[in-house]
Amino acid sequence: MHAEVIDHIKFGIVSPEEIKHMSVAKLTVPDTYNEDGYPIDGGLLDQRLGVIDPGLVCKTCGGRAKTCPGHFGHIELVRPVIHSEFAKVLRMLLNATCMTCHRILLDDKQIDEMKKVVSEESEANGENHHTVPGKMAKRSGNKCPHCGSQQPKIHFSAPTYFTVGDKRLKPDEIRDLLAKVSDDDLRLLNIDPKVSRPEWLIISSLLVPPVNVRPSITLESGERSEDDLTHKLVDIMRIGQRLEQNINAGAPQIIIDDLWELLQYHVTAYFNNETSGIPPARHRSGRALKTIAQRLKGKEGRFRYNLSGKRVNYSARTVISVDPYLDIDEVGVPIEIASKLTVPFYVTAWNIEHAKELLKRNEYPSVVNMISKDGKRKRVIDANREDILKELTVGSILERQVIDGDIALFNRQPSLHRISIMAHRIRVLPGKTFRINYCTTTPYNADFDGDEMNLHVPQTLEAQAEARYLMEVQYQIFSPRDGAAVITNSEDGISGLFQLTKDETKLEYDETAYLLGIAGIYEMPKPGKDGKYNGKDIFSMLLPKDLNYEEDTVYGPFKIKNGKLLEGVITKDTYGRDNELSVEIAKNYGYEELRKFIFVSSKLADAYVTLSGVTVGVKEYSINKHMEDERMKILNATLVKVNELIKSYKEGKLEALIGQTLRESLERMIIAELNMARSKAGETLASNEDSTNSAVEMARSGSRGSVLNLEQMSMFLGQQATLSGGRIKRGYYTGRLLPHIKQRDIGPSARGFIITNYYMGLSPADLFMHAVGSRGSEVYKALLTGRSGYLYRRLSNALQDYYVTEDDSVRDVNNNIIQTVYGGDAINPVNVKFVELEK
Amino acid sequence: MAMEKNANKYKVNYGEPVGMLAAQSVGEPGTQMILRTFHYAGIEATIATSGLPRIVELVDVKKKPATPITYVYFNSDIEKNFEKSDAMSKKISEIKVSSLVKRVVENFSKSTVKLVLDKQALAAEELTPNQVAQKIAKLMSVETEVNEGNILIKLHTKSLKEIRVTGVRIMKKVIQGIEDAGKALIQQSKDGSFYVITAGSNISEVMKLDGVDKSRTYTNDVFAMYKLFGIEAARNTLANELRKTLEEQKISVDDRHLLLVADAMTYSGTIKGVGRHGLSGQKNSVFARAAYEETVKHLVNAALFSEVDPMKGVTENILVGKQIPIGTGAVKLAIKKEDIKKVKSGE
Repeated sequence: MHAEVIDHIKFGIVSPEEIKHMSVAKLTVPDTYNEDGYPIDGGLLDQRLGVIDPGLVCKTCGGRAKTCPGHFGHIELVRPVIHSEFAKVLRMLLNATCMTCHRILLDDKQIDEMKKVVSEESEANGENHHTVPGKMAKRSGNKCPHCGSQQPKIHFSAPTYFTVGDKRLKPDEIRDLLAKVSDDDLRLLNIDPKVSRPEWLIISSLLVPPVNVRPSITLESGERSEDDLTHKLVDIMRIGQRLEQNINAGAPQIIIDDLWELLQYHVTAYFNNETSGIPPARHRSGRALKTIAQRLKGKEGRFRYNLSGKRVNYSARTVISVDPYLDIDEVGVPIEIASKLTVPFYVTAWNIEHAKELLKRNEYPSVVNMISKDGKRKRVIDANREDILKELTVGSILERQVIDGDIALFNRQPSLHRISIMAHRIRVLPGKTFRINYCTTTPYNADFDGDEMNLHVPQTLEAQAEARYLMEVQYQIFSPRDGAAVITNSEDGISGLFQLTKDETKLEYDETAYLLGIAGIYEMPKPGKDGKYNGKDIFSMLLPKDLNYEEDTVYGPFKIKNGKLLEGVITKDTYGRDNELSVEIAKNYGYEELRKFIFVSSKLADAYVTLSGVTVGVKEYSINKHMEDERMKILNATLVKVNELIKSYKEGKLEALIGQTLRESLERMIIAELNMARSKAGETLASNEDSTNSAVEMARSGSRGSVLNLEQMSMFLGQQATLSGGRIKRGYYTGRLLPHIKQRDIGPSARGFIITNYYMGLSPADLFMHAVGSRGSEVYKALLTGRSGYLYRRLSNALQDYYVTEDDSVRDVNNNIIQTVYGGDAINPVNVKFVELEK
Repeated sequence: MAMEKNANKYKVNYGEPVGMLAAQSVGEPGTQMILRTFHYAGIEATIATSGLPRIVELVDVKKKPATPITYVYFNSDIEKNFEKSDAMSKKISEIKVSSLVKRVVENFSKSTVKLVLDKQALAAEELTPNQVAQKIAKLMSVETEVNEGNILIKLHTKSLKEIRVTGVRIMKKVIQGIEDAGKALIQQSKDGSFYVITAGSNISEVMKLDGVDKSRTYTNDVFAMYKLFGIEAARNTLANELRKTLEEQKISVDDRHLLLVADAMTYSGTIKGVGRHGLSGQKNSVFARAAYEETVKHLVNAALFSEVDPMKGVTENILVGKQIPIGTGAVKLAIKKEDIKKVKSGE
């Protein structure tokens, strides 16, 4: 597959000779097009540099816009300038070498030491050594150890200005100085003189990139708009010309020097328009120009945007929606998309008849392209169908539309973990959205409020095999983060099973048959004495016949014996993320069985929920007299305690927590007290035994909603926090939040503690406090996503090269050992729950 | 036996990109970290940095964490006894002059600095003005005098600058306890024994005290642990702190991931952060560094020092469109291409 392999890439500096060699044209005219709209010869869009307009022919290679790769040109500068990006390097070199004899400023003994350091470095790091020994060779004494001459101090001011004493060190003088440094001395400074001589950093001929690199755009008005780089190059040439004219006219030195510096400025801006110390060059509109450095760096730069970020074919994107009747490893694909996406069909002696059948079809699923043996791709249309049929031989490849059962990768961004991309089997459906089973929403972190997802069809057989055996949904049920099941029933899927497996659930014959029929089971469980069917028995029909499982849950023991659920109900705890039922099934019967179980049980649950119904209304959130009393009791007790705290603080009796002032400690204690009130309210609500309250039942089964939601609706909202996690305290200058609050009141209600609930309604003051809290958490969320995104980028960049080798050690790609045995036991984190079960 | 047999089944596969797994496992839950941590348990939880800022601090290897905490345990004869433990706590707890002084009055004509003491604070620390005065006299080698419960410091200079500087310097002096150890607070663990947590990380000085159990005392300051105990201790502290922070947020991450992060940061023998100055910035590949951060700097240096990119890592190979050498891409043919022909011809 990979015929040409890039073994390594070596970096270096382009020498003046090389520039002359590379250049196909010396550019002399600081302009682009003439009046007729043709590129000017010797101008910046000279046709020898390649062509971008359709119809023109490249004068160097004879190619047209699509075939000509582009060619470099060059500009001769009358006076040399410094390559600004290397100015600091030049300072180092000037400081490290003698101004008179041009030797390195180290005595013979030091030179021997340096040699040793350099050779050791290169032994340890291969060809790349990062230490810059230039630091070591600085003008320690003021005398050169070789010729004994006094070394003057060289002053450098950014970005490109060098002075010796009070005299300016001009670029050509720097070049002359550095050109005399010997190759051997350069090697001591870690510089390979063959690839990068320091005097090459002084530019007298400037390489001009091909036109393709800086294409001009024709606007709708017919006006041409040039690329930023072209603009900058025009500037450089204009100043160059003016400088030349002045020199030839014998202008005073001061004018020449001014122009020279201007030339230096333009070249500096050409390389990096964000160089500190220069004002950025601007476009006519006032926008700063994007020059070479700006093209490369940052998120939208060449590296991260174009080179690391790949674009692909054979992919599709649309809105997602639910379909609980799709298996969890399927993806519903709209027929419109299915007829655009293709997959290769390799014609062999054994399937050539099938291939012919396929080719004859002129409606979905049909063949879109044929790639003949010589690699030519032809579109199949009705007009040429017969010809292509004749051409079809063993070894041709057909590109046919995807059909049910083809493998595809499904992805939702942001792809924060590997289960953000999983392989699904395609299921072609009517409609315009992708459809997935809701059990697979967790790993994608998807919902159906307008989310869009991407679908990719792997083209090679290797890729398809990898997708099918490594990435398919059933192999991703357990998260590599902690081994917990991320693909499970949720919401209705839990609600249904919870209701069904309750002790009191008894169903009639026809109901039972209906439920099991939907689940795809065509046997009946044994009825009870009253002729009715027990919910637990119906659920047990889904379980493998020899499954044994026991667990103690908060709702009492949960027990499955010989494939029969004897005790307990299904909740999020027994059958949710941290459930071990999934682990047990996967361990004993494999991932395929587990996948089937999740799918079938979710269908059963949905069917039962449809049958029994779960309704939430106002009555779920109205509380009775007893609860109201409890609520007041909690609130009063909290108020008393907080007032005590404040009192003892005012009397100076309060003891400070470590590392905090007394005032901070008081805040902490008050917050703890107020939070305590909230959790007490929650406990009170959770103790509600009324099983006719659907909201409590849902929270209890873990299918939707939490005690926290209930609390806010029927007890009280509690403390509204700010960004910093403390109570709200900003407001008027005496620290009042609202005008009706007494000055210096630090009691609960003065600082955002809300004692009302959504059912009662919020008072205007409460509403204000609540809004402060909501806004705070919204702002915080925005802040947090940015920070955590950056943390993630840094982590993945630092760790991405590490993998497990044959001997279970973790190494990076350069064979450095990070861990001798991965995690100490070489256990795959995906399997940790299995291992725990073994113990 | 069954365990042993199955252990093989549960092993990591060859080529498994465990680094990426670790990065994802720590990075992905970042967005889930919440603002309000309902910490009722223990006071240390209320003062320590937690959540995402703490994780960032750990992987960045800050020389000084925002909230260093040292956990000081005592020998068995002390830890059961409150009085003895309290005495130890007093020895450790750092008291600065500034915490005892209400305000400073400089008198430039008489060359004196008057410290107006905070009597409440003084009483809380069980100190008398005389004790403080003597201590200051000793520490600064100046003359002191106690006057109506305040301390007068006499200086032999007319320089305004010197008088003011002295005033400022005195405030920073430590009257009692260990410098940089921070204020100590005595705690009782579940088994009834006492220990001390301090808001500082001068663990090496704390360890020098008699009666401190050196085997259990530790700090959450990774760098301090590294300096005192070496790289392995730093690695363990790092992993422990990461786990503690994640657990606080009720995020479960397998220890293997945290250990790998800790090992990656310490395998070289020194602590390296994960950012551009640490692991990512010191990669062998020019392209990998350029594609990460500081693109231009890396390219310029590569050109000058004629660096060679060996094209072995993940980023470089993605840049040029080659298969990455990890995961299924790590698998190579055991037989050389030239030898395949020989096998076919039956040699």
